[in-house]
Amino acid sequence: MPRFEKIEYKPIPVRELLLDMKNLSELMIDLAYSSALFNDKELAEDVLELEIRVDTLAYLLEIETMIAARDAEDAEALTGVSTVASAADKISDAAADIAAIVTQNIGVHPIVSEIFEKVEERLMRVKVGDESILVEKQIGELDLVARMGVDIIAVRRNKDWMINPKENEQIRCGDIIIARGAPSGVKEFKELAGGKRQKLED
Amino acid sequence: MAQSHQKRFEEIVERFVELKDTSELMIDLAYSSLLLNSKELAEEVQKLEEYVDKLHTDFELLVLSSKFKKEEARGFLGLIRLGVATEKIADAAAEIAEVVLREIEPHPVLKLTIEEAEETVTYVRVAEYSSLVNKTLREARIPEETGMWVLAIRKRDKCIRPKPDSKIEVGDILIASGYAEGEEDLKKLASP
Repeated sequence: MPRFEKIEYKPIPVRELLLDMKNLSELMIDLAYSSALFNDKELAEDVLELEIRVDTLAYLLEIETMIAARDAEDAEALTGVSTVASAADKISDAAADIAAIVTQNIGVHPIVSEIFEKVEERLMRVKVGDESILVEKQIGELDLVARMGVDIIAVRRNKDWMINPKENEQIRCGDIIIARGAPSGVKEFKELAGGKRQKLED
Repeated sequence: MAQSHQKRFEEIVERFVELKDTSELMIDLAYSSLLLNSKELAEEVQKLEEYVDKLHTDFELLVLSSKFKKEEARGFLGLIRLGVATEKIADAAAEIAEVVLREIEPHPVLKLTIEEAEETVTYVRVAEYSSLVNKTLREARIPEETGMWVLAIRKRDKCIRPKPDSKIEVGDILIASGYAEGEEDLKKLASP
């Protein structure tokens, strides 16, 4: 049985809520596909957690749009906002459905993952170890795109997600990084995060 | 036997990748249509939605007609569910585009939300004498030359999500976004 917790109302601008919903739902698609194709349970569980967050945002946004409508004309213009919000919510639901293939132990046929790996860019999830040279470096100074064709799309620190982290964000030990890139870059980056490789090559 | 099995899997993956790419292209185009209040782009999304329905059916038939063993059933169920979820994503994109197809101006907050998106979207047809013909997107260096970013390539009745090694052919229509200054440069490049 799902547990519903009471959501505390707090005034957040509609724009901010919608932007978070849009970004999270798009991130979830990437994460969900890679959890299914690489049979990664932890990643799938992250997706399910993000889905709960999107639901909360959708609930808050619904309250905000209702408060914002002063008359019929306002209300009509705002229906567009709720349509887009509900579409983002639907996208996040679809991502959760994909993640559930993994958490419910259904899985995707292994040969498909094998072939898929050849045709797609891949996503990875790595934990930054205490030996890693990435610790205390700013994301911007690493210049990962130019160096190894790897792009950091999200960082999870404790319970918080940073989506598209800023250039001056410092990497900390224990951070979970979600990145995308070509297979060779992905391998190199994993070694850097794990502390197996101690030098950034140009 | 084993080889034909392998081939069948490759075919399933190929269909799935197309389904996935198309649904993601639809999300990009749907948000762009909203930003630009462009009916043309929104209609493109609706057309793609019909195409996805067809792709999805083909994909399901292909999966179901594979002669799989009993112990493989779970893996095949996973494939079917993956397809259903992808189709759902495409539906959601179509709903976003529908906002534009209603007769009212979208709420300004929507425009503010899609802030990273670019100024304008343009369509250009690649002419016979264009230097782009037979080049891959990587070789064409369109963003470097014009500042425009190719969102999609329409080839005959098919709309594809561009990849670095997608080949540009005569008659292709490039759908690109960027600042207004780049539009002229792209037109010159595509149909000199």
